[in-house]
Amino acid sequence: MDAILSIKYIIGALSYTLYAFIIGGLLLGFHRKIVARVQSRPGPPIIQYLIHTFKFYIKEITFPITAGNPLYLFVALMDIMVWMSALFVGVVFESSLLILIGLYVLQKIVEHGCGLSSGSPYGKLGGVRSVFSAAAEVPLFAVVGIIYVITHSLMIGDIINYQAINGPILFKLPFAAFAFFILLVSKAPKSPFGIVKDKCIVSGYLTEHFGTLESIVLISEAVAWFVLLWLFIALFIGPVLISSPILTLIGMVVLTFIISMICAITPLLTPNHSVMLQILIASLTVIDLLYRVIH
Amino acid sequence: MFIDPITGNFYGYIPFGDIVFYLTDFSVIAFLVALFFTLVVYLTKPEKQLEAQINDFDKFNIVSLKELKIRRLMAIICGISTAFAMLTGDLFDYALFLAVIGISNIGIVSAVKKEWVLNAAYQYGIIAMISSLPLFGAAGLILAKTGTLSILELSKTAHDIFYQKIIYAVGMVGETGIAPFYAAKAEMFKAPGAPYILMIHLSSLLIIIRTAEILLSIH
Repeated sequence: MDAILSIKYIIGALSYTLYAFIIGGLLLGFHRKIVARVQSRPGPPIIQYLIHTFKFYIKEITFPITAGNPLYLFVALMDIMVWMSALFVGVVFESSLLILIGLYVLQKIVEHGCGLSSGSPYGKLGGVRSVFSAAAEVPLFAVVGIIYVITHSLMIGDIINYQAINGPILFKLPFAAFAFFILLVSKAPKSPFGIVKDKCIVSGYLTEHFGTLESIVLISEAVAWFVLLWLFIALFIGPVLISSPILTLIGMVVLTFIISMICAITPLLTPNHSVMLQILIASLTVIDLLYRVIH
Repeated sequence: MFIDPITGNFYGYIPFGDIVFYLTDFSVIAFLVALFFTLVVYLTKPEKQLEAQINDFDKFNIVSLKELKIRRLMAIICGISTAFAMLTGDLFDYALFLAVIGISNIGIVSAVKKEWVLNAAYQYGIIAMISSLPLFGAAGLILAKTGTLSILELSKTAHDIFYQKIIYAVGMVGETGIAPFYAAKAEMFKAPGAPYILMIHLSSLLIIIRTAEILLSIH
C-alpha cells in the first residue's frame, strides 16, 4: 500500500514539474514574442522555447577538451535539481523562504560553475560577471528581513495566511516589492541587467554547454521562471491570486508582459552600470529594513 | 521555539562538547549541499583554461599536480568547515568556522603562481583579518550582555542585542568578502581551477544565508 502511495506521489511530483516547465516555457516564449513585437519584428511562435528545448534534448553530448569533468556535467544537472527543489519547497510545501533563497543563490554557483568548468574564455567571463552581479541578491536578503519584520515568520504558508487577514503586502511594503521585481527583471532573458549572457561574450556561461546539457539548463530556466513569478505573487499579492490556479496564471502572464515591455525598451547596461544600479537598489532596501527594525 | 518560523521544522540538537549542533529543514539541506559539493570538488579535475595569445597559438592554462594537491586540500577544508557552520548552534563556534573558511579561501588561491591572483588573495586576506575583530568582538559582547552564546537560548527570550548583531554582520561581510569587498575578491575568481574557485563562492553564499538565519533567530 505504501509503495503504491509512494509511486502516486512520485507521479504527482513529476506531473507538477512538467506543468511548471510547460507554463514557464510558454511564458518565456510569450516574453520573446512581446520583445519582438515592440521592436517591430514578427518574432518566433510562443511555443518556440519548448521546441528549442526538445530539439537540443535529442542532440548528442560531447565534452570540450578544456572542460573539467565531472563538474562540467554536474552543474547542468544541479541547475535542474535546484529549481525542482525550489518548486517543491516553495510552491508545493510552502516551506521556509530562507531555504528558497538558499536554493536561489545556488543558481549563482551553477552560472559560475558552468562558465569556469568549460575552460572557455567566454564562459569564464560569463561566470565572473555572474559573481559580480551577485549584488542583485542583496535586495533579496533585505526583502526577506523586511517581510519577517512585518509577518514574524519566513514560512511561505504563514506569509500567505498573514495576507489573507491583513491584505496584500504589496501596499504595505511597496519598496520591498519593487526590489523583488527588479530581481525578476534581472532574471529575464534580454534584461537590462543580463550581463552574464551578453552577446559580446557569445552566450556567456552557457557558451560551451550545448546539446542535451543546454536543454537541461533550458528546462530548469523555464521552471525557475514559473517559481519566481509564483513567489512574487505569493509574497506580495497573496491569496487573492494564489488561491486559484487560473488567477495565478493570469497574474504570471501580466507580470511577464510588464517585464517583457521593460526588457524591450531598455538597452543592456554595461557590467559596471548594472552592478552600480543593483547596489543602489540593495542599499535603499537595506536602509528600508533598518528603518523598519528601529521603528 | 523561535527558530521554527524561520528555518522550517526543528528536529532536535546534537550535544557535542560545547559545540551544539541543531537540525532544522534549512540546516540539514545546507549541510548536505556543502558536503555534496565537497565530494564533487574532490572528484573533479581542473579545467584547462584557454588563453588567447598575440601573434601566437592560443595556449592552455594547466593546473600542475603540485598546485592541485594543496588547492584541493584547502577546498575540502573549506567545504567541511562550511558544512559544519551550517549546523552549529553556538555563535563563537560559528565565528571560528567562518575564520577557517576565510583562511582556506586564501589558501585556495595563494598556490596559484600569478601575480594578480596573489595580489587579490593578499588584499582579501587583510580584509578577512581586520573583520575577525568585529566578528569575535560581537560574539564577546553578546556573551557579556546575555551570558550565553547558544543560538537556541538566545532565540527563546528577547535580549536587546540589535547593535551587537550589526557588528556581527559586519564581521561576516568582511570575512566572506562579499559586497562591498568584491574589489579584493573578484580577481580571485578568474584564476584557473574551477572546482576550487567554486568552493570559495559556495562557502560565501551559504554563510550569508546562515548568518541571516542566525541574526533573525537571536533577538
